Amino acid sequence: MTVLEAPAAPERPRAQDEGQLERATERRNRRTYLALLLPGLLGLLVSFVFPLAYMVRMSFNQGAPDGVIVETFTLDTYIQPLTDPYYWRVTLDTFQMGVTVGILCVIVSYPVALFLARSTSKWRGLLIAIAIAPLLTSAVVRTYGWMVILGTNGLINSSLGGLGLIDTPLKLTNNMTGVTIGLVEIFMPYAILAMISGFGRLSPQLEEAAGSLGASKFKVFTRVTLPLCLPGLLTAFLLVFVLSISTFITPRLLGGGSVQVLATEIYDQTTGLLNWPFAAALSVILLVLFGLIIAVYQRLTKKIGG
Amino acid sequence: MRATIKGKMAAVAALSAAVLVLSGCGGGSEAAGSGGSATSGEVNLIAYSGVWQDQYTAAVIEPFQAKYPDIKINYASKRSSAEMLSALQGQKNNPATDVAIMDNSVSTTGNKQGLFEKVDEESVPNLANVPEKFQDKEGYGPVAMLDAVGLVYDTATFPEAPDSWKVLWDPAYAGKINVNAPPSLLGLSLTAITSKMEGEDYTQGIDSAVTRLKEMAPGVQTFAPNPDEYQNVITGQTVLGLGQNARGQFYSDQSNKKMGVTFPKEGTVYQINTINLVKDAPHSEAAKTFVDYALSAEAQTAFAKALFYAPSVTNAELPADVKDRVVPTDGSLNIVPLDVEFLSSARDKWTDTWKRQIITN
Repeated sequence: MTVLEAPAAPERPRAQDEGQLERATERRNRRTYLALLLPGLLGLLVSFVFPLAYMVRMSFNQGAPDGVIVETFTLDTYIQPLTDPYYWRVTLDTFQMGVTVGILCVIVSYPVALFLARSTSKWRGLLIAIAIAPLLTSAVVRTYGWMVILGTNGLINSSLGGLGLIDTPLKLTNNMTGVTIGLVEIFMPYAILAMISGFGRLSPQLEEAAGSLGASKFKVFTRVTLPLCLPGLLTAFLLVFVLSISTFITPRLLGGGSVQVLATEIYDQTTGLLNWPFAAALSVILLVLFGLIIAVYQRLTKKIGG
Repeated sequence: MRATIKGKMAAVAALSAAVLVLSGCGGGSEAAGSGGSATSGEVNLIAYSGVWQDQYTAAVIEPFQAKYPDIKINYASKRSSAEMLSALQGQKNNPATDVAIMDNSVSTTGNKQGLFEKVDEESVPNLANVPEKFQDKEGYGPVAMLDAVGLVYDTATFPEAPDSWKVLWDPAYAGKINVNAPPSLLGLSLTAITSKMEGEDYTQGIDSAVTRLKEMAPGVQTFAPNPDEYQNVITGQTVLGLGQNARGQFYSDQSNKKMGVTFPKEGTVYQINTINLVKDAPHSEAAKTFVDYALSAEAQTAFAKALFYAPSVTNAELPADVKDRVVPTDGSLNIVPLDVEFLSSARDKWTDTWKRQIITN
């Protein structure tokens, strides 16, 4: 400010002064931003970057029987899973599970999210709270709940048996069916939240306009509502996909040892066979898979947004 | 003025960062304590979780603390011996644990890796009551208790206990069986038992066993029973399964005999737990006092009564009704020997074989 008030200074020096002042302010601002960011960055460094670096380093060690870790630098831990059809199958199963759960979760959550996003009711806040209330219970408890519901003598089988619809109980648990059902329900609140926040461009006026121009309700939905919802649907899908492929508890508890995905494999290698280098390599592979998916997602959203 | 506010904010941010760093680095020094005395201080124990922890606490730890009120036992529970080994390996350079009770196949590995200390009668007098067969040849932690793999069954389906492991292959029970796959010791034991049933020497190869187990696999409801192998049978999810005799006997009582456990005629595999002193333990003197108490007739009898583990000492006198239900250690039971050294080399391979060839979706 003081510089601007200075009387009749020559043209160039004034511009120079202004430039200097701007740069100084910018530098000061940058310093302040950095100082404000510092606690968070340090926290991230201690809780995320260091462990991640440790894990990556661990993945180049050699695992010997009985948990002995040979400090070395080898690519064997990567070559083994990448050249072994078994681990390709596990990776593919993990990917398939993520896609299936993601799609199903988006399908069942969409009507709920759409209703909540468009609702003008005074109960809207309460309804949203109810929709995401399951998050207040741990995924372990909800998975155990599903074990009771889906089991041989569970609610579904005993009801169907009682109605005379089935003779032998359906195998709804200890397989991928059970894991998928459990995961879809467990991740629904996340999908709903992601969709509600992603439906920003949705506007009743646009729908009304389309309707007034003669579009049927179905056409309004397919040509106006759904395209406007797409960014929200994609975000929800990505979130559920990422959560699914990294989840461990539900595949472990509802999979009954028959569902082998990367997360359960990493757990077995870490706690059962104590082969930490191999488990670390699998974790890095999972992380790379995440990265690829997120890159594809960003491309896709840019395309839709653009 | 703005600059001053910004300056203040920056100072606050820097201060909070410093606090964060300090608090982040502050932990971890708690483990470093003095050696303490034999009758005071604390003992950090690592052992099994769940019902094992409950019963061991009630039968051994609480009476110990009544006897030595100045020693506090801190119990860190783990789901498996492998998890305990993993924790001890992580603390190798700065041990925080004093005593570990774990499976002998895993403790042998710990001995080899230099995680444990040798014990002698001077510091642990009750070692004199542990017969030679239950002592470590090199003087490491002795056997603290024994159990064996049993066949767990639903008493409504089987009013008479099944006498052969072959019942697991009976099509009548397909879909109603739970089998804990390796690396669980139950699955490893079943592999050895099946191999023996097939007349094969499992130290040389398990091809015949794998062929037989593949035939059983489609009838298996779960290879990782949850919450555990006993509750699955009690709740009727399955009618047959692998289990350990000790816990099986305990849950049989708990479920009002809805579930039973038996040793089939083809033989079974011992599950042996050793009690181990951690090398350079922070409270080694008090730890020795605890190990000595754990090997006393009093503690051994109490735990046998509570959870049906067979004592490893000669001077423990069990009531007849308990003696009948713990695994015999006098040679009267048909035992399939699963050598600890062999198991350590076979565990990875057998686990892999199960995953790739036996477990099917």
